[in-house]
Amino acid sequence: MKHITKVYGSLYANDDVHLTLDKGEILAVVGENGAGKSTLMKILYGLEQPTSGEIYLNGQLQHFRSPHDAVNQKIGMVQQHFMLLNPCTVAENIVYGREPRKGIFFDREGAVRVTEALCEKYGLYIDPRRRVGDCPVGLQQRVEILKVLYQDADIIIFDEPSAVLTPQEVNELLRTMRKLADMGKSIIIITHKLHEVMAVADRVMVMRLGKYIQEMPKSETSIQEMSYLMVGRHIVERKVPPREPTGRVLDVQDLVLAGSDAKNILDHFSIHVDGGEIVGIAGVSGNGQSELIQCLTGLLQPTSGKILLKGQDVAGKTVGEIRTAGCACIPEDRYLWGCAAKASLTETAIMAHQNRPEISKRGLLNGKGAKDFTRALLDGYDVRNSGQAQRAGELSGGNIQKLIVAREVEQHSPLLIAAEPTRGVDIGAMEFIHNKLLEKRERGDAVLLISSELTEIMSLSDRIYVIYEGKATGEFRKADATEEGLGILMMGGKSHEAVS
Amino acid sequence: MKQSHNAGAREFGLRLWRALRQPLIAVLFGLLVGALVILACGQNPAAVYLEMFDKSFFKPYYLFSTLTRATPIIICSMATSMAWRAGYINIGVEGQMVTGTLVATVVALYVPGPPVLIGLLAWIAGMAAGALYALLPAVLTWKFQVSMVITTLMLNYVANNIASYFVTYPLKDTSGDGLSFHTPEIHEVMRLPRLSSSSTFNAGFLLAVAVMLLMVFITRKTVFGYESKMGGFNPSFARYGGTKQVKVMMITMALSGAIASLAGSAEVFGLKYRYSDGMLSSTSYAWTGLMAALIADLDPIGMFFVSIFLSGLQIGGSAIQRSLGIPLEIATIIQCCITLFVSVKLVFKIRKKKASKEEVKEGGVKA
Repeated sequence: MKHITKVYGSLYANDDVHLTLDKGEILAVVGENGAGKSTLMKILYGLEQPTSGEIYLNGQLQHFRSPHDAVNQKIGMVQQHFMLLNPCTVAENIVYGREPRKGIFFDREGAVRVTEALCEKYGLYIDPRRRVGDCPVGLQQRVEILKVLYQDADIIIFDEPSAVLTPQEVNELLRTMRKLADMGKSIIIITHKLHEVMAVADRVMVMRLGKYIQEMPKSETSIQEMSYLMVGRHIVERKVPPREPTGRVLDVQDLVLAGSDAKNILDHFSIHVDGGEIVGIAGVSGNGQSELIQCLTGLLQPTSGKILLKGQDVAGKTVGEIRTAGCACIPEDRYLWGCAAKASLTETAIMAHQNRPEISKRGLLNGKGAKDFTRALLDGYDVRNSGQAQRAGELSGGNIQKLIVAREVEQHSPLLIAAEPTRGVDIGAMEFIHNKLLEKRERGDAVLLISSELTEIMSLSDRIYVIYEGKATGEFRKADATEEGLGILMMGGKSHEAVS
Repeated sequence: MKQSHNAGAREFGLRLWRALRQPLIAVLFGLLVGALVILACGQNPAAVYLEMFDKSFFKPYYLFSTLTRATPIIICSMATSMAWRAGYINIGVEGQMVTGTLVATVVALYVPGPPVLIGLLAWIAGMAAGALYALLPAVLTWKFQVSMVITTLMLNYVANNIASYFVTYPLKDTSGDGLSFHTPEIHEVMRLPRLSSSSTFNAGFLLAVAVMLLMVFITRKTVFGYESKMGGFNPSFARYGGTKQVKVMMITMALSGAIASLAGSAEVFGLKYRYSDGMLSSTSYAWTGLMAALIADLDPIGMFFVSIFLSGLQIGGSAIQRSLGIPLEIATIIQCCITLFVSVKLVFKIRKKKASKEEVKEGGVKA
């Protein structure tokens, strides 16, 4: 790829970027969120057309107008968000688009045979008759990889492939990539996780703010150098001084949320959080975290169990009552729960503050009060905006997240639930949000941090619980927690390291 | 100080532009399509439009007719937007209007007492009846998750038919020729004053202005207006923020129904002085009001002007039918085309949303 430039409006998503890839090589493209990695890959895969620049494949100029063109040229992509049909079997998913036929009918047995042959050839084993929806995430990703191989791809792009995996699954994936490269496939991996780069890549290319920065063989670089190049400055490793907790704020006892079948979604879940403490909940997405948050905040009614907030049982109370009792929440999905795309920044900022005396009296809004309040949030949390009439949906992900964090932290509630507080935001915003959570802890408030990002949990938390299939399966003090120890529990294994 | 003033002015300008951009473009395209139809009728569109607007807005007599007709349309559009902006698709404004108006008329005719007081009581009773009739679908939605679109639509037929029964039998005015189905006339003291000596233009229009101002106040200045608006934008967001959604729904629907009743009452107390069968349904006030609400994207000030414009199209449409022989339907065609072109906006919005979602997937390019 030569001189690739892609412009959205006035924004240069890619600015004169070059990329080369040799046969049998693993190239890692690294950069912060918003560095333009994904855009570059979308151009290569035909999802986007470059504003200018050229793509050569084996010396020949190519014009990809759609992914279909790219697939025909043996380029495949394993998407970050899987594009699978969950009710269908593994085999059906793999052959989808190029089904083996018997006359005019779909040849189901043929599909199974094709899949088995594919598994054999690449050493990636999976049961072709299993329903995709029943497979764990790691296996679903394997289905995606097999699908790309079925399409006979020689170049395989992995877009943030480890985002949804446990540490053990990540190791498995990295082995798979190495195996494929040894078989002559060329691989591009987009990531911002540098230890994965060090583990698997042959060559590294760094991007920043849409620009090509530098590339080097892996053997000649280090995590420190790459992170410096990615951010353009040195990131100081966070040192969090220990702090004595100040009395119980949240005590969850035997919380049960029944599911639609015999299995409970939350199964006698018990944790506690003290003031001045950040407690992390680690776990692979989909093990009951969302439901836990919704029970704690009143969006869901738990089946049984107690939620003691400052000694008061709030289980089954309404959202408004629980907020009044002293709980604020940074929601896990900012576009679903955290804002309304059409709402102005003022309207976004005053949610759950609307009854404060400086914003309204006897049901009447004080426009100036609301504006001043919003202004303080926007300025204090460095939310870049073009005026308060701007719509929330027009802010970038990082900025809207900062506004939501501002709104919830400024509740000054004894308990703050922070669910995926930095999902999809750039490193600058991430550092900022982490600092705000730590400041909250410094003030003696309790923070419950729920995140699928293990590094985030490990760097911020004083204590860590692991959630697996709705149970709290382990409790670690910061000093005792290791990525391996947590990873085993996150996958449902047993650990001797757990303190209780 | 000066800077903040400038920012305020810019914000106001932005808001005004946002409110007017869509309707203006839609009106332009609607008139364009209308021009094609007029051409097909073998007439000069420019001349027809000139005549049409002359006989709806530019001549005082016609302007008064336009404003008189606009009165119930404006109020209906406000009633519609009250519910829609909170995310409750109330298409039963007609039924609520009919119920409220019938009750108001009955109170005015049959409750004994001093006419001034009874007149006042009639308006209030009408509002209460409209509110209750709108609460019925709200309760069904709350208790049984019934689709409000279906219940409100169906309840229109129920209200219309019940009202027909009453004016055909028990409430029928038997003093006249007995051929028309309507109630007797209300007491003179209860009638709204005329604002023009040469036409039927009456104080009902001032009521419409007041309702509009009330809507502006509710939407911009009250916590209730804020919470219901957020619920309309994203119910999950409102719920997460701790707003009491059932309460908001009940108040919203009750207000919507109460306002709807005012539209019909204004027609009875200001113009016709009696309730006659089909007077509120055959004129499509509620549906024209719905269109105005859609065209103006539920903005109260926008709806006010759009309602007047649509009413002008109808008045002008019947004028050109009389003078040029162009069928009245031309006005309906233009009106519907405008609404259609406004809904084009929805397509734009969905596309925009898609684009922004992709951006999000990528992790916020603009950050």
